[in-house]
Amino acid sequence: MEWTDVLSALVSGFASLTWQSAFLILLGCVLLYLAIAKGFEPYLLIPIGFGIILGNLPLSGLAATSEGGVLNLIYKAGILTEILPCFIFIGLGAMIDFGPMLANPKVLIFGAAGQFGIFLTLILALALGFSRPEACSIAIIGACDGPTAIYVTSKYARELLPAVSIAAYSYMSLVPVIQPPIMRALTTKAERQVVMAYEEKKVSKRVKVLFPIVGGVLCMLIAPMGAPLMGMLMLGNFLKESGVVSRLADVSSGALINIVTLLLGLCIGSSMLAGNFLQWQTILVFILGIVAISLDTVTGVLLGKLMRVLTKGKINPLIGAAGTSAFPMSARVVQMEGQKANPRSFLLWHAIGANTGGQIGSVMAASVMLAILAGMNILPV
Amino acid sequence: MKDWAFGLMMAVAGMGVTFLTLYILTLLIHLLARFFPYKEEKKEEGK
Repeated sequence: MEWTDVLSALVSGFASLTWQSAFLILLGCVLLYLAIAKGFEPYLLIPIGFGIILGNLPLSGLAATSEGGVLNLIYKAGILTEILPCFIFIGLGAMIDFGPMLANPKVLIFGAAGQFGIFLTLILALALGFSRPEACSIAIIGACDGPTAIYVTSKYARELLPAVSIAAYSYMSLVPVIQPPIMRALTTKAERQVVMAYEEKKVSKRVKVLFPIVGGVLCMLIAPMGAPLMGMLMLGNFLKESGVVSRLADVSSGALINIVTLLLGLCIGSSMLAGNFLQWQTILVFILGIVAISLDTVTGVLLGKLMRVLTKGKINPLIGAAGTSAFPMSARVVQMEGQKANPRSFLLWHAIGANTGGQIGSVMAASVMLAILAGMNILPV
Repeated sequence: MKDWAFGLMMAVAGMGVTFLTLYILTLLIHLLARFFPYKEEKKEEGK
């Protein structure tokens, strides 16, 4: 072997680095910076950011699409089979406290208003020339729910999976940046200052235990195609509320969701490759995704304003913004905005109720989409 | 035109079913709370 061969082998990585790959590696570093320095959802952005860096290193075989690579195996076994999104829902269920929603069920309705953006964006995506399955996959970014977006897109339009999943997770973590300006633009200071009465309404243990079974079965009967997600969500919550399997509940809300989030983040990050990412179509997906989440916030706040009028000023319209399923980020944003306007205002309890409603609402919206596409023979049943 | 009809149908069905489901869930929660109201747990008194 000549020295020149040795040298060329040693610099092959540098020689294969394109400006597009370098750009995406830089983008991965920006996500890591946002996670560490700004504290934007570090549990999501660190695996995604690092995944982007790993996936775009030339010759490393670490891209999710590199056949036989370690992340490719996880991608195929966990994402394309929809297993990881379902596991995430077990963990989410074990983390969610339905208590505020069970104590004040009328806030559930905000969970439906928070899904308007999905369907408005669907129409917009169709108008821009996307096919029906692609438009549904893009619109589901508005669910503000990474696992649901992955679940739906892996059925509808696998070619869009990297763009949709990255957009869904990125926007979920950017909810504290996206929502506040819209909330402030649509409400007056007087509206934001409304103090919502807090009456401690306790819920019996039996109701908490029965809800995941009765409520879950009802939702799954109405929309069976969402049963894998809804069933896992309710299973996780039942583990927690039953009170007799604390080890399972702890594992689901701790180790399980952490491991799955790490694997999911790494895989979707490493699927974001220069070649198929820096395209006009991907940019459109990102634009439509932010439109969807913004429209969710708009319709949620507008319903909040309507409810304020109907209840003669008892509802603070800001809690409408918590009707998305970005749990618990949206509820935290509502609490912070409410306190900025009126330090005596404490909206978190009500907002958490609306936020859990959003979690259920987003799965229902996705299930209806799946059911309609299956009914039109666009998807296999 | 067909795509517009599809989009509108999806929006109407999607929002309709989502609203309806959450409304039924609200009624269900009211029913559950009526059948199983919260009762203060009795604490065992120590001797």
